[in-house]
Amino acid sequence: MLDGNIPLHGLNLAYELATLALTTLGLAIVFGLLGVMNMAHGEFVMLGAYSAVAVQKLGLPLLAAVPLAVVVCGLLGYVVERWLIRPLYSRPFDTLLATWALAMLLRKLVEAVFGREYRNVESTLTDPVTVFGLQYPAYRLVLIVLAVVVMAGLYLWYRRSAAGLRVRAMTANPVLAQALGINTGRLASQAFVIGVVFAGLSGVLLAPLIRIEPGIGVDYLLDAFFVLVVGGLGTLGGMFGGVGIIGGSQAITSSIAGQTSGYAVVLMLSILFLWLKPNGLFSRR
Amino acid sequence: MAFFRDAKSAAFLAAALVALPFASSEFVAYQIALFLIYGIAAQGVALCWGRLGFLPLGHALFFGLGAYLFGGMLKGAESNPALYLALPLAAVAPALLAYVIARLVFARSSRSGPYFSLITLALTMLGFLAAQQWSSLTGGFNGLANIPDIPGTSRYETLYWLVAVAAVISTIVLAMLATRPIGVIWEAVAQNEERLQLLGYATDRIKANAYAFSALLAAAAGALFSAHQGIVTPQAMSFILSTEFVIWAAVGGKKSALGPLLGAIVVGYASAELRDQFLYWEVAVAALFIAVVLFLPNGVAGLLKRRAEPRYGQDSPAPPVHGVGTSTTPVSLILEGVETAQSGVTILDGLSLALSGPGIRCVIGPNGAGKTSSFNVITGRLPLLGGGVTLNGHDIGGLPAWRVARKGIGRKMQVPSVFPDLTVRENLGLAVWAGRASGADTLKRVTLGWHTQLLGDILEEFPALASQLDSPAGTLAQGHRQALELAMTLLPEPRLVLLDEPCAGLSPGETHQMIDAIKTLVGQIGAAALLIEHDITAVEAMGGDVYVLHQGRLLDKGSLADIQASATVRAVYAGGRK
Amino acid sequence: MDRRHFLQATLAAGAASAIPTAFAADPLKVAVMIPQSGPAGLFGPSCKACAEMAAVALNGRGGVLGRKVELLFGDAGLAPAEAGQAALKLWKGQKAGAVIGMHDSAVRGALVGLFKGQVPYFYTPVYEGGECATGTYVKGETPQQQLEPVIPWLAAERKPTKWYMIGNDYIWGRNTNATARGYIEKTGAKVVGDEYLPFTVDNFDASLARIQSSGADAVLVSLVGGASVTFNKSFAGFGLSDKVIRLGTLIEENTLAGIGFANARNLYSSSGYFANIDTAAAKAFAADYAKANGANAPALNGLAESTYEGFLMLEALAKKAGSLDPAKLDAASEGTTYSGPRGAATIKARHVEQDIYVADVTDKGFRVVKTFPKVGAGQTCRV
Repeated sequence: MLDGNIPLHGLNLAYELATLALTTLGLAIVFGLLGVMNMAHGEFVMLGAYSAVAVQKLGLPLLAAVPLAVVVCGLLGYVVERWLIRPLYSRPFDTLLATWALAMLLRKLVEAVFGREYRNVESTLTDPVTVFGLQYPAYRLVLIVLAVVVMAGLYLWYRRSAAGLRVRAMTANPVLAQALGINTGRLASQAFVIGVVFAGLSGVLLAPLIRIEPGIGVDYLLDAFFVLVVGGLGTLGGMFGGVGIIGGSQAITSSIAGQTSGYAVVLMLSILFLWLKPNGLFSRR
Repeated sequence: MAFFRDAKSAAFLAAALVALPFASSEFVAYQIALFLIYGIAAQGVALCWGRLGFLPLGHALFFGLGAYLFGGMLKGAESNPALYLALPLAAVAPALLAYVIARLVFARSSRSGPYFSLITLALTMLGFLAAQQWSSLTGGFNGLANIPDIPGTSRYETLYWLVAVAAVISTIVLAMLATRPIGVIWEAVAQNEERLQLLGYATDRIKANAYAFSALLAAAAGALFSAHQGIVTPQAMSFILSTEFVIWAAVGGKKSALGPLLGAIVVGYASAELRDQFLYWEVAVAALFIAVVLFLPNGVAGLLKRRAEPRYGQDSPAPPVHGVGTSTTPVSLILEGVETAQSGVTILDGLSLALSGPGIRCVIGPNGAGKTSSFNVITGRLPLLGGGVTLNGHDIGGLPAWRVARKGIGRKMQVPSVFPDLTVRENLGLAVWAGRASGADTLKRVTLGWHTQLLGDILEEFPALASQLDSPAGTLAQGHRQALELAMTLLPEPRLVLLDEPCAGLSPGETHQMIDAIKTLVGQIGAAALLIEHDITAVEAMGGDVYVLHQGRLLDKGSLADIQASATVRAVYAGGRK
Repeated sequence: MDRRHFLQATLAAGAASAIPTAFAADPLKVAVMIPQSGPAGLFGPSCKACAEMAAVALNGRGGVLGRKVELLFGDAGLAPAEAGQAALKLWKGQKAGAVIGMHDSAVRGALVGLFKGQVPYFYTPVYEGGECATGTYVKGETPQQQLEPVIPWLAAERKPTKWYMIGNDYIWGRNTNATARGYIEKTGAKVVGDEYLPFTVDNFDASLARIQSSGADAVLVSLVGGASVTFNKSFAGFGLSDKVIRLGTLIEENTLAGIGFANARNLYSSSGYFANIDTAAAKAFAADYAKANGANAPALNGLAESTYEGFLMLEALAKKAGSLDPAKLDAASEGTTYSGPRGAATIKARHVEQDIYVADVTDKGFRVVKTFPKVGAGQTCRV
């Protein structure tokens, strides 16, 4: 209920938005910038979470999952881009299907190796700390801060750096960019790999806070898609807008009418946008 | 007989299904029946995706609706036998829903393919949530249980035969439709929807009808499912099931009628049996699916089947064009102050021109003058942001392309726009049927052979077309493709013809032939024509008035001699004035 | 299952079959429906292990009615319809002669509708009560058993005044909470919240915020498996474990391992079995389990052990009725007794009168703090 506990609701909302932003980021890069409908996006998040599981099983500290996730997702991303995505660049439906098949493949592989049961990852930081006069899990605060830092850093990089400029050029006008000597093929490949690595890293970050099982990818994929549909493809501002609208409406509806209604509202919003404003609010593609 | 040719694959299926229970056991037949049921729904997906070119990612919505409705009615009928009469509603209601959804989405834009897929996906997820929450209606998570048998059948013994009959019927119907004109129209939608609209086909309705039919298949399958399982849970309406339909359709063959059924049985049943025995079975299936997407776009059926048999019927005279064609007043076109823009760039800046009566006029002007764009505004391809377009006294500003076409306007595009994977004969057929074939006609074989006087004349003017009637249009040389598109533009006998550079890419000899053909044929149908041309010799050969466009406005109008003498025109062409 | 476990199970089975017992010609195939996926998937491995131990034990005593017991496993962690298909394959396809089910009530509903009393069906886990179908026998604890003596005891021990009830949105969650309400109000306390969540929810922030703002000092947790783990972890994460006590009727060793001992302060669990019950039979069973499954075995818990008890019920009933025909079993069931790791049990009205234990959590795990002997199941099924 919307009671006077504003700091708690505020922190919960910030946590939801942070989670959504982090898990959407990878798809924003791949779908938003490159136009590739990567239906396996959620599975890369899942792989990141399982990196944490694997690392914990081996008795290593949680931080070791970060390089593991980077390596796994990076290598996989490179292979996928080279042999699955590149041949299908001009066929969007086929890219959709091929990446969906890849998602199935990854899911079943993880099932075969780790089993279908739910897993948990421990972290010492899940203990509560006192903030704004209430007890809140420390790890979540870390996540919120990290999300803000990453987003801010990315925004500055995109707007100010030379590499960011090249990427923006490639998105706006690939032919012209190529004529100017920008190696769009390699840039696209790098962008794809970076996108899936970001997805994997978000999985590592979230691992101590979520239930982990092979099928969690679909939810992250769909949430990310809906964020991008509503917010618009190709701009960071669009992604933030989408996160705000989708995450915010879901959180508000959930606290009033339950989680199912929250998700239903997200679905209905997305349908409306897909129908009436398919380019989203802030598109530049 | 033609019927037996169509029914070949269905006959093979029927034979296999009859043999099955005797070759294995009743229980195996019961299990296979489940995948026949799924296969029928997958056939619906393949219809939309393989033939029409749009992919429904949420087809389980209709499957589940059919299942819940049928199951609920079967249960209710035990105390209220009148409900037995309402059973067909279980398939019909979801089909109606599908029609409404498709009309709403496709009416917005013909380029809404991927968005349509995502909308169907989101809708099926909403359906899943609703099925879970509305426990009073659907039983919620526990599902709608204790569904009785369909009267006259027993679940584990005789229901199989009912399912087998349904599968065979569905296969026959789909195979037959593919060989009828409607099958040609469907494939045309996938290959070049815009060209089809320019011929006057309401493609959003065609797609909606096909989608509704595919939903009917899925819902009917769902109805059988509820009787087969005895319980319907929200999983029957889920995203996961929807994607399984897509996978089975893809692996089996989305362009085939039998393919998706085979895909469901082989992949689905095998997976259900082997999943527990081989740990990596599902990994293998996923890898198979990737291979199919990369290397076998038409699935296994595409491997097995050679080229589709050509579709043609015996020659028969076509009925006259209904609607606009028979007016006695001379055709007139008036553009007044037309403005249009795109991406913030003004393209037409108050264009006004008028013509009336039959005859060929030419439109010339420097690049970027707005010649093609004026055609685009008339035929609804660019938005009308100011001013008006009037045809024969009716305001046609802002109408969608197919409505404009039905008012009697034919359009030939700048880059020849045909249906590349259909044969020349089928391309021409589509143009002949435009404005003549009713819905019922598209279901009859005889329509394939419709012939008009004009068609005969066109084939005389262009013998190259006559000799390549059974070749795919995409294999034609540029010149022949131009001729084909010209033919398609003229066959519906429009009163106003817009030709955009019909001689582009032609050799001088071909240009000559094209000009002669245009003059003859346009004169024959008594139409007014506007011809965009860069080649002054062609303009000269046409005679008639010349309109000069510049920077989105009419610069001058008159005979060629007048234009060539005009100082303003000279200045523009010589670069003397901005 | 890992190689060591498999090897040991095979050796154990081999050892058992080396005992010269003459079995009847056709083996008795028993379909064992356990969750191998979904929210209750974490119980799968331990249930499987206990079922295998049961088969070994039964076969060592000559099998059921002289027939050797063979196990067929099916995944009951899927949605009800899919679990039904799996059960159907074992029953009609592979000709199973009896079914042991350790799964949720939604699946039970589907299976009862499927079997229609044509095959003996033993349902073993904690559940909401009310199952009276022919041919069905329930080992599982009911809310009446688990709460009627326990809530007043807890009221006397910790004196909570405001209870908040949270559960998964299906029949077990709802019935447990509804039953509890009566007992809570009889102790003079108030129920200040009652909410239900679907299985798929893994974010309990809103619920925890409501618990805090309601001022509750006790929470009844009727969540299943993974949901229970996440909820209880978050509960502690928000600093609530020292302010609010928790009582759960489905919190066993695996769930507790997931929650973490440190996060389970002031958490009470009411169950018919804990792995460290201090009786001779229980200790022997725990030792056997450890020997059969090795050091890395999945934690022994009440749900897995209930699978074992299900086999004991099957053995006892079949012996008394002299047949596996559901009608004959029904006729023989009332008053049948058997003895297992939980102690003595009596079948009454298709359910089992058994001992109930309450445990809290120390830094070593569960600690049984109270035992209620021979608690009736409070069911009124006619046989």
